Amino acid sequence: MSGILLLGTITCIIGYLFLKGLDTIKLSLIFGETAPLEALLFKKQVFDGLFPAMIGTFSLVVLSVGWAIPVGLATGIYLAEYARHSVKKVFNLFFDILAGIPSIVIGLFGFSLAVFLHKHFSERIYPCLLISSLSLAFLVLPYLIRTTQVALESLPAATRLTALALGATRLQNIFYVLIPKSLSGIISGVILAIGRCAEDTAVIMLTGVVATAGVPKSILSHYEALPFYIYYISSQYSNTQELLSGYGACIILLTICVFLFFLAFVIKRRLTYQALYRV
Amino acid sequence: MKARTFLIGLAMVCLILWLGTTVQAGALDAFKGEKGTLKIAGGTAHIPVMKEAAKRIMSLNPDIQISIAGGGSGVGIKQVGEGLVDIGNSGRKPTDDEVDRYNLKMFKWAIDGVGIIVHPKNKVKALTKAQVIDIFSGKIDNWKRLGGADKEINVYTRDKASGTRAVFWKKALAKGEITPKANFVVSNGAMKSAISQDPYGIGYVSVGHIDETVAPVAFDGVVPTLDNVKQGKYRIARGLYSNTKGDPTGLTKKFIDYLFTPEGQKIVQSKGFIPVK
Amino acid sequence: MIKVYETIAEKLFLLSAIVSVSITILIFGFMLILGLPLMKGGHFFDLLTQPWAPYHGSYGIYPMIVGTLTIAFLSVVMAFPLSLGCACLISALGSKRFSRFLRRVVQLMTGIPTVIYGFVGIFLLVPMIRELFQRGSGMCILSASLMLAVLISPTMILFFSDSFDHVPKSYLNAVDSLGGSQVQKFLYVILPCAGKGVLTGLILGLGRALGDTLIALMIAGNAIQVPGSLLDSARTLTSHIALVIAADYESLEFRSIFACGMSLYVFTTLAVLGVRSLGSMHQGRKR
Repeated sequence: MSGILLLGTITCIIGYLFLKGLDTIKLSLIFGETAPLEALLFKKQVFDGLFPAMIGTFSLVVLSVGWAIPVGLATGIYLAEYARHSVKKVFNLFFDILAGIPSIVIGLFGFSLAVFLHKHFSERIYPCLLISSLSLAFLVLPYLIRTTQVALESLPAATRLTALALGATRLQNIFYVLIPKSLSGIISGVILAIGRCAEDTAVIMLTGVVATAGVPKSILSHYEALPFYIYYISSQYSNTQELLSGYGACIILLTICVFLFFLAFVIKRRLTYQALYRV
Repeated sequence: MKARTFLIGLAMVCLILWLGTTVQAGALDAFKGEKGTLKIAGGTAHIPVMKEAAKRIMSLNPDIQISIAGGGSGVGIKQVGEGLVDIGNSGRKPTDDEVDRYNLKMFKWAIDGVGIIVHPKNKVKALTKAQVIDIFSGKIDNWKRLGGADKEINVYTRDKASGTRAVFWKKALAKGEITPKANFVVSNGAMKSAISQDPYGIGYVSVGHIDETVAPVAFDGVVPTLDNVKQGKYRIARGLYSNTKGDPTGLTKKFIDYLFTPEGQKIVQSKGFIPVK
Repeated sequence: MIKVYETIAEKLFLLSAIVSVSITILIFGFMLILGLPLMKGGHFFDLLTQPWAPYHGSYGIYPMIVGTLTIAFLSVVMAFPLSLGCACLISALGSKRFSRFLRRVVQLMTGIPTVIYGFVGIFLLVPMIRELFQRGSGMCILSASLMLAVLISPTMILFFSDSFDHVPKSYLNAVDSLGGSQVQKFLYVILPCAGKGVLTGLILGLGRALGDTLIALMIAGNAIQVPGSLLDSARTLTSHIALVIAADYESLEFRSIFACGMSLYVFTTLAVLGVRSLGSMHQGRKR
């Protein structure tokens, strides 16, 4: 009964979107009146299309994951391989709290950080792509830390000790044995983090996303993003055309997120199988 | 020193006006060879005009990037004052305090009204000022008392940063209270779409945004239309301003100049506002 | 030489760990410092209990706190039976193929962006609620918590079914050999055994519901009042932040959003601590 209810709801939601929005899925939804090739080469700006928003979301994801991966992985490694038990406990508590902080609070933090930097550091800093990507990095950091830590810790002791017994140093052991072995777990964590960056709206809403900006030129400029576009359209569309493009944007975003999700799933399975059967 | 700054400012304004009147053909020529970014934020009534102008400029010269954000008039004034954006739009005149504090320069490029709107199916099409005050303060809470259906009135309002709200509050509500039951929406566009979906809602919106999806309500017998605003019959009128911190320079100046060219003013008209020229 | 690399690497790892931890603290610090002017002189508790009346100089966030808690609890109450049912379908009652399919769908649902739920909520759910009850604008607590229930149920389902799967096989076999039916097995064995896990799932769901911004912002109506019925419009702490962020930076109104931020921080931290203490109790018992 409850299963049917749930399936019914989700079918309703997705079905409704596709029913309303499928007609809008064509090239002009993305590129507006501009020729696609010129847009892709950044020769001309795109209007009335989703292209700038897609590029915005894309660069946002790349940047924030770029910030978060080194720090996240390094922290994960530290927790799994170096930290003493008591230290680990304290750190884990902090990361659990960080994971629980609502995204809007992180957005608020990013916003105040931007204003603070603007006043005391440099006039050129204001809410922008850089600030947004940093805030998003804070948001996904705990996911990365946790997946890395768990992936490393779940390795069997035999794998862990062999290289050390053969005379490898701790660092060599980590980079040549432990990380390759736990790669599948780490990568699926990364992909989930990417999905989170792509879908989050609350953070970017406070830290620099705008209604119209064109393709962002530098990391210190405003930008557009798909989820914000959907939010914006939902409350202030001015004609049916715009509303329809909102449905289109929903479908695109949904497709991206679902695709990423399956990618994470497949990688996890494929790599686990390889790790299990090849060796 | 002060006097000199003022004189220069005055000269600038004159120059702008002069430019506006003389540059007829190819108003966009000024943007050729320009580069850089221009950040605009604030009043949500302004957005359609800003978008269209930005679109024309950026299609001509892809090296220019213009970003447009909403937020409301208060945000526009604040952000331009803090130097976070280049142009801060406001749907009300900045207060003297704001002008002094931030050294703001105002450019009024259109006249607009604030009209009360309801759902097109609603039978109530005219209200007196007293009725409006009672509706928004929550004293009248059923359409029946106004000759409509026996349904509760859903009041919609804007947040405090809104210039539309400030003007409406001052000129229509006589600075009366707004009921805490009111739903909040974030922009003129949002107000319009909220009312167009709610058969028993009432709200207020920039006259330029009124279209067939919502029905304007006559205020003290005058329907909020462009003509009535233009002729001064409709009293809840206001200017649309673009503000800069100090005198505008470079791209910012060119953008504001563009709004005052015949082409720019044509955009203003096509988006439902009254051009100043 | 290698030794040096070792040390440098270890220090680097430690450094990034410290950076990550300090972010957590820094966020709290920012909220505290920026919200301070409102709290000076012990006004903090006034702030939490006063109504919002900017024209009277009162910036209490009480209506928002009530709004947040109502919507969050209501959505958990609605999502709970649904999730429990689905979880038991997945782990115990359903046929193998169906439960695999259901689990996939639920996992997939966790990946659907929040803003899409909000979008569908505005154009599908809100008009439905308005027509159904013939009262109010349809933007109300009920709509928001219904949508939130859909949002948080996947998290809860996955957690529930995980904890069901951890019930020792021998218990289940014992029931089977005693001739218990599937339903009996579920009600009398699985559910009591997985009680802790269910509670943890509940708290996690609640945390998610507390922290969500978009759904409440888009479909709860945002009126600043202490809601009197399910069909009233209400504002949550999260949407208050999103709405007021635009206000004058120096005003007390603007400061109030940091108080909101802090309340949210505290709420979710409490939830996390709750989950952790449950977890450690669980582990303790196992050992």
